[in-house]
Amino acid sequence: MKVSLKWLSDYVEVPSDIKAFCDKLDLTGTGVEGVDKLGAAFDGVVVGYVETCEDHPDSDHMHVVKVNVGGDEPIQIVCGAPNIAAGIKVPVATIGAVLPGDFKIKKSKLRGVTSMGMCCSKRELGMGTDHEGIWVLPEDAQIGQPIADFMGLIDTVLDLEITPNRPDSLSVVGFAREVGAMYAKPWTNPLQDMAAKLELAGEVEPNAVKIDVADAVRCPRYSARVIHGVKVGPSPDWMVERLAAIGQRSVNNVVDVTNYILFLFGQPLHAFDLNKIKNAEGVAHIVVRAAEDGEKLTTLDGEHRKLTSDMTVISTPDQGAVALAGVMGGLDTEVTEETTDILLETAVFEPGRTSRTSRNLGLFSESSMRYERGVDDHGVEARSAAAAALIVEVAGGTVARIGEDGCGIVDVWPAPSEQPHLQFRVKRFQAMMGADIPRDFIVDTLERLGCEVAQTEDADVLSVVSPTFRPDLPREIDLYEEVLRLYGMDNIPTTLPAGRGRIGVRTNAQLVDAKIHRTLSACGINETMTYSFAAGDDLDKLRMKEDGLGEAVELINPMNSEQAFMRRTVVPGLLRSVAHNQAHGVSNIQLYEIGTVFAAHEGDRKPKERRKLACVLAGAMDDKGWNTDPRAFDFFDGKGALEAIARELALPKIRFKALSAEDAPHLQPGRAAEMLSGGDVIGWVGELHPLAVAAYDAEGPVVAFELDMAALERNARPARDYVDVPQFPGVERDAAFVVDEAVTCEKIMQCMQSAGGKLLESVHLFDVYRDAERVGEGKKSMAFSLTYRAADRTLTSEEVDKAHEKLVTKVSKATGAEMRG
Amino acid sequence: MAIVDELNELNAQALRDIEAAADTAALEEVRVAVLGKKGTLTGYLRGMGQLPKEERAEVGKTANIVRNAVESALANRKEALAKAELLAKMDAEAVDITLPGRGQQVGTRHLISGIIDEISDIFLGMGYSVASGTEAETDYYNFEALNAPADHPSRGMQDTFYLVDRTGEQAAVKGESAALLRTQTSGVQVHTMEENKPPIYIIAPGKVYRRDVADPSHLPQFHQVEGLVVDKGISFGDLKGTLDYFCKQMFGPDRKTRFRAHYFPFTEPSAEADVSCGVCGGSGHLHNGEKCRMCKGTGWLEILGCGMVDPNVYGFVDIDPEEYSGFAFGMGVERIACLKYNVPDLRMLLEGDMRFLRQF
Repeated sequence: MKVSLKWLSDYVEVPSDIKAFCDKLDLTGTGVEGVDKLGAAFDGVVVGYVETCEDHPDSDHMHVVKVNVGGDEPIQIVCGAPNIAAGIKVPVATIGAVLPGDFKIKKSKLRGVTSMGMCCSKRELGMGTDHEGIWVLPEDAQIGQPIADFMGLIDTVLDLEITPNRPDSLSVVGFAREVGAMYAKPWTNPLQDMAAKLELAGEVEPNAVKIDVADAVRCPRYSARVIHGVKVGPSPDWMVERLAAIGQRSVNNVVDVTNYILFLFGQPLHAFDLNKIKNAEGVAHIVVRAAEDGEKLTTLDGEHRKLTSDMTVISTPDQGAVALAGVMGGLDTEVTEETTDILLETAVFEPGRTSRTSRNLGLFSESSMRYERGVDDHGVEARSAAAAALIVEVAGGTVARIGEDGCGIVDVWPAPSEQPHLQFRVKRFQAMMGADIPRDFIVDTLERLGCEVAQTEDADVLSVVSPTFRPDLPREIDLYEEVLRLYGMDNIPTTLPAGRGRIGVRTNAQLVDAKIHRTLSACGINETMTYSFAAGDDLDKLRMKEDGLGEAVELINPMNSEQAFMRRTVVPGLLRSVAHNQAHGVSNIQLYEIGTVFAAHEGDRKPKERRKLACVLAGAMDDKGWNTDPRAFDFFDGKGALEAIARELALPKIRFKALSAEDAPHLQPGRAAEMLSGGDVIGWVGELHPLAVAAYDAEGPVVAFELDMAALERNARPARDYVDVPQFPGVERDAAFVVDEAVTCEKIMQCMQSAGGKLLESVHLFDVYRDAERVGEGKKSMAFSLTYRAADRTLTSEEVDKAHEKLVTKVSKATGAEMRG
Repeated sequence: MAIVDELNELNAQALRDIEAAADTAALEEVRVAVLGKKGTLTGYLRGMGQLPKEERAEVGKTANIVRNAVESALANRKEALAKAELLAKMDAEAVDITLPGRGQQVGTRHLISGIIDEISDIFLGMGYSVASGTEAETDYYNFEALNAPADHPSRGMQDTFYLVDRTGEQAAVKGESAALLRTQTSGVQVHTMEENKPPIYIIAPGKVYRRDVADPSHLPQFHQVEGLVVDKGISFGDLKGTLDYFCKQMFGPDRKTRFRAHYFPFTEPSAEADVSCGVCGGSGHLHNGEKCRMCKGTGWLEILGCGMVDPNVYGFVDIDPEEYSGFAFGMGVERIACLKYNVPDLRMLLEGDMRFLRQF
C-alpha cells in the first residue's frame, strides 16, 4: 500500500528522519518496500529564477526570459505562458530532461530565438490538471535545486507491505493510529468532523431506496445514501494530487471521492447512477443475494462475467445483477458524465467469498483486497456520511432524506459483530516473551491500538476488549504480539532453551543417504539436482516402460507444458543435464541425484512418493593427461559404482541379472541389468538406448542407473561382518577357461565356489580374451586367479594341487570349458 | 721373490684394482679375482700346506693381513660405489614436480545439499533431530492445520502449484485443489506434533514449490529448512538466542542478528530475522563510501521467518498451549547459498553444469 506522508501528517506527527522512520516501521511489522520522493523521474528539472522577461520580437504572446538555474550564466528560454514574469521562481526543464509522456527537452529555436529549456506547468510535470500557466514556486525555493528534491520536501510516498492480518492498516487513518502507537504520540481521526459536515435536504423520501439482504453471512451490513443533483466533472487539485501521489488516476469527482474515502478509512464504496437502477415507480430496490449459476454481468472493466452461486451480487428485481459484491461494479449502472443522481453504497461483505470470487474470476481490486481481509461493520454510517458530504463538497448536489424517518441513510445491519473480551495475564506474557515488559507499557500500548483496557481483581490479569477494526485480535496471544512488536523484539534478551531430554539423532534413511553420497563422491561422481517436473511424453522419449511407475501426477496450473507433470523417473532430468553439458563443450559428465518421483492412484488425493537414486555417466572420468589415458565409460563403470554402494551399505546377496530388451526398452540390449539384493529388486543399470539418448539431444553412450532408495534402506546393514585377518599364507593358482560366449561369468564363478570347497578363499577374474584363431569362433577365454588358504595351517602344494584339479574338472564339466595353457 | 713379498705385491695390486673399480660390477670382478674360489689370494691360502713349516707362520700371518686389508677395502669401495650409484639413480629419476599430479577425481556435493548438511550439523549439535516430509501435500497440512483456513488472505502470500485430485472432489475455486505441492516445509511441524509428544526439537529440510517463473533470483522449486521446538517454558528469548547462535555458526562469529515483527498464520508473535551484512559489516556502505550492493545499503540481509507456535496450531495436534510453548522457524536454503557464494543465477542450481557443480 502506498502512503503519502504529506497526507498522513494531517493526522499524526510524521518523524522528519525518513530513514529512521522506515527502520522503525520495518521492525514493528510494517515492511517498507519502497520510498518514493515524488518527482524523482524528473532528472534535469530544477528550480529557476526568472531574471529578465522580455517580449518575443516576432510573437505577440511569447516571451524571452533569462533564467538563473544555478549555473554560471543564466539560460535563455522562450516561454508562451501568460503568467511568466521577472522575479518569480519556476520549475525549469533543462536540456536532456524527459517529462511525462516521454517528452524530451532539446535545444530549439522558436520563431528564430534560441530556447535552452522549458518553464513547466504543474500538468507538464504530471502533477495535476492545472494548466493555466507556469507553476510559480515559493520564494524560498532554492535556485538550481533539482525539482525532485524540491518536491520531495512536499511529499514522500512509502510503499508499505501490509501483512494480511492487518486490514486496519490499509488506510491512511488506520496507519496514522499505528504510527501514533509506535511513537506513543497522539493522532486524530477526521471521521467525526467529516461526517458532521453532512447536511440533508429536500422532502423525506421514505420509499426511494429499499434494501433486502438475503443472507447476513454474505453481507453483514448494507447501507445506501442518495445524492441528488451532482455535477460529474474533474476533481479539485488537492484530491487529484493526493490520489496521484499514491498512484491513483483521477476519474471524475464522484468516483474520486469513493477512492479517497477508501484510502482514507479503508472503507470501499460504490456509487451507482441512481436513475439506472430505479424501477418504474422510482424506487431503487437493492437485493443483495447469491448470484445464480450462469448469471451474467458486465463489470466496469468491460469484461462479460459468468457468475456462480458462490458469488454475491447487488441486484434489482428488474435488472438482475448490477454489481459484483465487494469486487467490482457493473458497467450498465456506472456513474458517467451525464449522471445527476447517485446511490452511494457503503457495505460490508464476507471475506472468504469475496476472496473466492476474485480468484475464480481473476479479478482483484482495491475493494476486494480490503473485503477479503475484513472491513469493520461498525462505523459504516459515519464513513458513509463523510463520503456523501465530500461528494457534495466537490460535485455539488444535496443528500436526500431517504429512509422512513428521513435520516438520510437506509441501513441494513442484521448481526453486528461483537468485540472480543479477553484476559491478558501479565506474568504469563512476560515469561513467554522472556523479558519483564512493564505493565504500564502493556496498558498504554494496547490503549493506543484501540483496545479498552481495565484492571481486574487479580492484579496479574488485565481485561482487554479488542476493537472491531482489528479482526486479528480475537485471542490473548494476539495481544502479546501487539505489545511485543511495539516494545521492540530487539529489546528481548537472547537465551537458549533449557529443555532436558533432547537428543539429536539421524534416521536410518539419513545415514544411508550419507553413505551413498560418500561412496559416489569417492567414485568421482557429482551430485546434482534437476526439476521434479516432467513433460507428458518423458517416458515415451526415454522408452521406459510404465510398469510399476504408477500413473503420472498432473499439475492443474503448470508453468509450461514441458513441466505439466511430476516426474516418475529422475533420468530425463539428468539426460537434459548431459545435453546441456555437451552443448557447452563439456563431454566428461558424471552426475547423480537423489530425488523424489511421484505416482498417482485413482481415489487417492495425495500421490505416492518414492525416492530414487539416479546416475548418468557420459564421456570419461577425465581428459587425457600427460601420464593418464582417458577410458570411455561403459556398462561396467555403472556396475562398479553399484558394487561400491553395495559394499558400503553391506547389502547382502547382491546379484545382477541381465535385462532383456522387452524388460528394459530404455536400455541398450545386452548392456542392461537388474540389481538384486536377495530377492529384492534394488534397481537397474545399463547403457541407455541410443534412441533414448538422441531423444534428449544428448550424445551417447550414456551409462545410467536408477535405484530405489527404500529398497536400499531396507537392505542396508549398519556394518559388514568382521572376518579374521589370515594368519597363514595363501596359495595362488591361475586357471583360464575357454567357454562359449553364452556362458556367463556368474555361472563360472558359481561353479568354482561350489567346487572349490573350504580351501578356496577367493576368486578374481583378471582377463577376458577373445580370438577366433586361438580360442575359437564364438568363444572366450576367462582367466581367474584363485586363492586357496586354510585358517589354521599352511597348505601344502599337494593339498592345493588336489583341490585345484578337482575345481578345474568340475567347472569344465559344468560349463563345457576347455583349459587354456 | 719370497712368498711374503709376493703377498704384499698382491695386496698392493688388489688395493689398486679396488680403487680403480668404476662400479659395483667391476668391484665384484676384483673380489672374485682375489678372493673367489680361483682367486689369487685363495691360491696362496690353499698352498699353505705345502710350505715349509718355518715359513708357514709368517706367510699365514701376512696372507691374513692381506685378506683383511682386501676385504676391508672391498667393503669400503662397495659402500662408496653403492652410495654414488644410488645418488646417480635418484638424480636420473628426478621429475619436474610442477607437472600435474595423476588425476584422482573426487565427486562433489551439490551446493544446496552441502548447505543443508551444514545447517543440519549445527542443529544436531544443539540436540535437534532431522525430520522429513513429503513434497506433495494436502491442503490440510500445507495450510489449514497451519492456521490458514480456506480463503485466508495469507494464502495469497505464496503462489501454489495444485495437483489433480484423484478423489474426484472439486475445490471451491476453479483451478485450485486440495492436493498440492507444498509451498513450505511447515507442514512437517504438524506431522511431527501429531506423531510425537513434547519435548520436540526438530529441523526438517526439504524441497518446496512455488509458482514463480525461473529467473536469476527465482525458482519454481527450492529448499527450506523448517525448525520446531515445543517444550515447557520456551520463550521468545529462546527463539532469538537459538537463531542468533545458528547465524553466528553459519555466517561467522562477528555477525549480528535482528528481529523484525512480521506475520505468519502459524506463529504468534511472528518475526523475520536478518543477519548483518558480511560485505559491509552491517554499515550499509563500503570503505570507499559507496552503497553496499549486497544489502542494498541497509546493513542487513533477510535470512528467515520465525515465531512462537500459534496456539491454534496446537489445537490441531492436541497439545495444550497452557502447558507447552514453542517456536518455529523456516529459512530458504537457496537464499543462504546466494549469500555465502554470490551465485549470480539460481537456475544454475538445476542445470547440472559440470563447471558449476565441480566448484563446491
